Amino acid sequence: MTLLWLLALLILGGGLSWAGENLRRGCGHWIALTVLAIAILLLGRYLPQALDVLAAEPKPQTLWWDHIRVPWIPRFGISFTLAIDGLGFLMLALTLLCGLFGLVMTWREIRRRTGCYLANYLWTLAGVVGVFCAQDLFLFFCFWETMLVPMLLLIAIWGHEQRTRAAIQFFIFTQASSLLLLAAIVGSTLVHYQMSGSVSFSPQQLTATLHTQFAETPYAYWLMLGFFIAFAVKLPAILVHTWLPDAHTQAPTAGSVLLAAILLKTGAYGLIRFTLPLFPAASTAFSPVAMALGVAGILYGALMAFSQTDIKRLIAYSSVSHMGFVLLGIYALNSIALQGAVAQMVAHGLSTAALFGIAGSLQHRLHSRDINDVRGIWQTMPALAAVFLFFIVAAMGLPGLANFVGESLVLIGTYARFPWFSALAAVGLIGAAIYGLKLVVRVLFGPPPAVREASDATMGSSGLMDLRRRELFALLLPLLLLVWIGLYPQPLLRQSAGWSNLLATYFTAPAADGDKAASLQGAAP
Amino acid sequence: MSLRDFIALSPLLIVATGALVLLLQLAFVRSHRAAFATFLLTLAAASVDGWIRLPAVEQATAVTTLLRVDRFSLFFCLLFFFTSAVCGGLGYRYLRARLTGNRGTSTTLSSCPSSSSCGEFYFFVLLATLGACTLVSSQHFASFFLALELISLSLYPLLAFPVPLAKWGAGRDVSNREAALSLESGIKYLITSALATALALFGIALMYAATGNLQFSSMDFSRGESALLIGGFALLLAGVAFKLSLVPFHVWTADVYEGAPTPVTAFIATLGKTALLAILLRLFSEFSVHILETSVAMISLLAVASMLGGNLLALRQRNVKRLLAYSAIAHMGYFLVVYLVIDRGIAREATIYYLVAYTVTTLCAFSAVSLIDDAALSDVSNPQVTTGDDRNPFQQSFYRGLFWRSPTLSLCLAAALLSLAGIPFTVGFIGKFYLITAALDGQLWGLLGALIVGSALGLFYYLRLLLTLVEAPPIASGQTAGVRVVVDQPHTSAEPAARNNPLLISRSGLGLLLLLTALLLIFGIYPQMLINGINAL
Repeated sequence: MTLLWLLALLILGGGLSWAGENLRRGCGHWIALTVLAIAILLLGRYLPQALDVLAAEPKPQTLWWDHIRVPWIPRFGISFTLAIDGLGFLMLALTLLCGLFGLVMTWREIRRRTGCYLANYLWTLAGVVGVFCAQDLFLFFCFWETMLVPMLLLIAIWGHEQRTRAAIQFFIFTQASSLLLLAAIVGSTLVHYQMSGSVSFSPQQLTATLHTQFAETPYAYWLMLGFFIAFAVKLPAILVHTWLPDAHTQAPTAGSVLLAAILLKTGAYGLIRFTLPLFPAASTAFSPVAMALGVAGILYGALMAFSQTDIKRLIAYSSVSHMGFVLLGIYALNSIALQGAVAQMVAHGLSTAALFGIAGSLQHRLHSRDINDVRGIWQTMPALAAVFLFFIVAAMGLPGLANFVGESLVLIGTYARFPWFSALAAVGLIGAAIYGLKLVVRVLFGPPPAVREASDATMGSSGLMDLRRRELFALLLPLLLLVWIGLYPQPLLRQSAGWSNLLATYFTAPAADGDKAASLQGAAP
Repeated sequence: MSLRDFIALSPLLIVATGALVLLLQLAFVRSHRAAFATFLLTLAAASVDGWIRLPAVEQATAVTTLLRVDRFSLFFCLLFFFTSAVCGGLGYRYLRARLTGNRGTSTTLSSCPSSSSCGEFYFFVLLATLGACTLVSSQHFASFFLALELISLSLYPLLAFPVPLAKWGAGRDVSNREAALSLESGIKYLITSALATALALFGIALMYAATGNLQFSSMDFSRGESALLIGGFALLLAGVAFKLSLVPFHVWTADVYEGAPTPVTAFIATLGKTALLAILLRLFSEFSVHILETSVAMISLLAVASMLGGNLLALRQRNVKRLLAYSAIAHMGYFLVVYLVIDRGIAREATIYYLVAYTVTTLCAFSAVSLIDDAALSDVSNPQVTTGDDRNPFQQSFYRGLFWRSPTLSLCLAAALLSLAGIPFTVGFIGKFYLITAALDGQLWGLLGALIVGSALGLFYYLRLLLTLVEAPPIASGQTAGVRVVVDQPHTSAEPAARNNPLLISRSGLGLLLLLTALLLIFGIYPQMLINGINAL
């Protein structure tokens, strides 16, 4: 029930903060903050289960912590099923914390139609929460598509110069690919229907049929591709990443935070939660291609990031690079790399959210995102610059911070199967250092542009507001979490261990024995 | 004909009687409101009759060799009654807005002589409804053709329905422009439709020659694919494709949609097409298309051409009615997919669901457009307002920032657009889900691909309109402060004032729109209700 409450709270909270803001200006933010705080408390209800996982490895039977199942469209065997396990808990926590961070960080940024903005912000979060909880493919798809509508509005109404174009591009890319996902979902269901005579959209039941000899047929491969493409667009993998730089750059700061920190993770989550368990054989056959895409993404993203002059665009391309590690880790198909990928998802979510938040606050102060205009902030805004430096080196993968954990685990896990991919991906780490240092050298330590100083002469160099206390508190959240995960990643890794161990059993012994299928069915929420 | 036959046909008879009563009534009482009341009363009586009879009908009743009444036809009769009532209601608002102008001048215009000529509108709507009901009940090509002609013949005067000429300032220009466009649309439809009818009739004749019978169920296909049969079927298909505006028989669609009074556009887009689609379901399941291998190729070609053509042509449209016209073409293309898997269990269910989804969504979209148009007319009749491209209530630029002026209205339009685009939790998504399921079930890979590409193209223009709704209204002061604040401020000129005031929508019109939106969402969120109803047919 808690999951349902969580979902309802975010949806209602969106409407409430809209109404509140209309009644009294400034009121909406507080309502939204309260809603998010209550949501986090609700999620805190699962802390005991999370602590249990630290103590003992979860068995398939005890994998799911909580679930709710209500028949929805019985004609097609569709039920409204929400469930949570360690992986889902991590993702939900990331979603809500980044949502909180984005709200507080950009408290004053949106001054136009604030009520509607807050409503869309919370509704996006609600959609993402739905995606991370849904354990029925039809329901998952519904959330998967609808979460984009408020996100689209966030970009299109409150975005920057080219917002409409970026918004439409973003939406069409993701929707067109999700039509493939829909076709693949329906296709899997039809296969299930032909083999068992019953219609179901439950991933556990589908797993049971798809793991039989059907898995060897070319159809399975095509169905897997339908799933893969939809998730790869959201990830984004290289070749289908072109929507990302525009959408991230044009979105308002909080929109960029949501996109980078959470929405990209839904793609990776989909791969881990659905593509791999449903199509183990086809995924194994496909894994070299996916890993090649991952490595290409790492290198290409780093290269493109280096050549950007727009700070937000630079961060956006660095996301392409970091998500390449996630793709690589997922398709290494072993438990270590998979846990590394999950850790990388969390670390990237936190660090990129903070980076976009800082880029937004720089733009708010300096009215520019161009590296050539935003220079030498160490002299004018030392506190902000210091925090910025921290998150840049975190994104570069400095040992002791969370990103390093994720990347190194992915590299270790990959090395076992594909040493060359691992070696090439490691080159990407150097790339990250290069574009990161470019940012440090230019933005933090470069000479402050002379033109701006002339125009600000009346205000003096202190005319720029350094980090506000509100922003500092907001930034402390990802900062502390990154340090904590970096120094002591075990609690985080344990959360995803249950699911990744389960997946690993499919890939170490991919034989179609009913035993495995049965064990997963036993795990049905 | 026995009493039993009359009882079976009672909804049709009620509508026919209502139409005649209305005609007589108009000879004596030329009141617009009274005509509308008779119209609604007729539909209400017919709906109640149909609603009561629907569960009671156990098996099909053949009324002569021409008609056949069963649950399937009764269900569609009810859908048509609903459609007509909505379109009639929109027509009432439409005619009233033109008869009385804006509220300030209504007293002077009530004596306008042309105001008395609009009661016939409802007569023609009733006739078309009767045609549609007859069409879904037909089981013989003679009744099929008669019903089809009845629909077309009542649509001609509706399309070119004389708009009462306004006698005041700027409104007269609008009225004249509307009248010219509407006449053009009527004549275009008349000429092209006559040609299509002739083709279809010739096709029916050829098929008769080939099969020796005109009753759907007793046509004899045993002689295989003769040239006569294929030729006849192709000609019939061409006639049907014209009415459904499938590519390449679509050329009339955009012009007719654009020119016709918006309630009539809604009518032709829903009833004019759904009636034919419903009877095709019966026709094709009687003589399964797969008897004719060639026909599969023909239908597939039409489907793919319509899906891609309709969506591609819509991409560059800036006129909302034309955009909806091309989107309708694409939707007809999607629809044909189901007919290719007619022998599968899911086809019937999918067809009926998609028909309902299409009707509700299209009605919702056109209701919003029509109400916006009516409200804009009373704006335009304001003499100080200039005319221009973004003054045309059908141009996309008119919709800019509408959400901030009239949120409820825009939300309804947005819901309709999302449903057309097939976003979850709307009825359009469930419809699309059915289509994809049907296409996969029949393993129609090519058509599935076209469907996906077409839908992706479609997203672009639906979204563009959707985003136009939420764009900042084109005023300078709105850039920095919220619109709510701007409205309260004293205005320096009249222009921004007109731009920021909410559109004046009548309460009944808004209620109608909200009802349609509610249906659209309910059937989208909880489709099982409708699915149960369909499976009980």
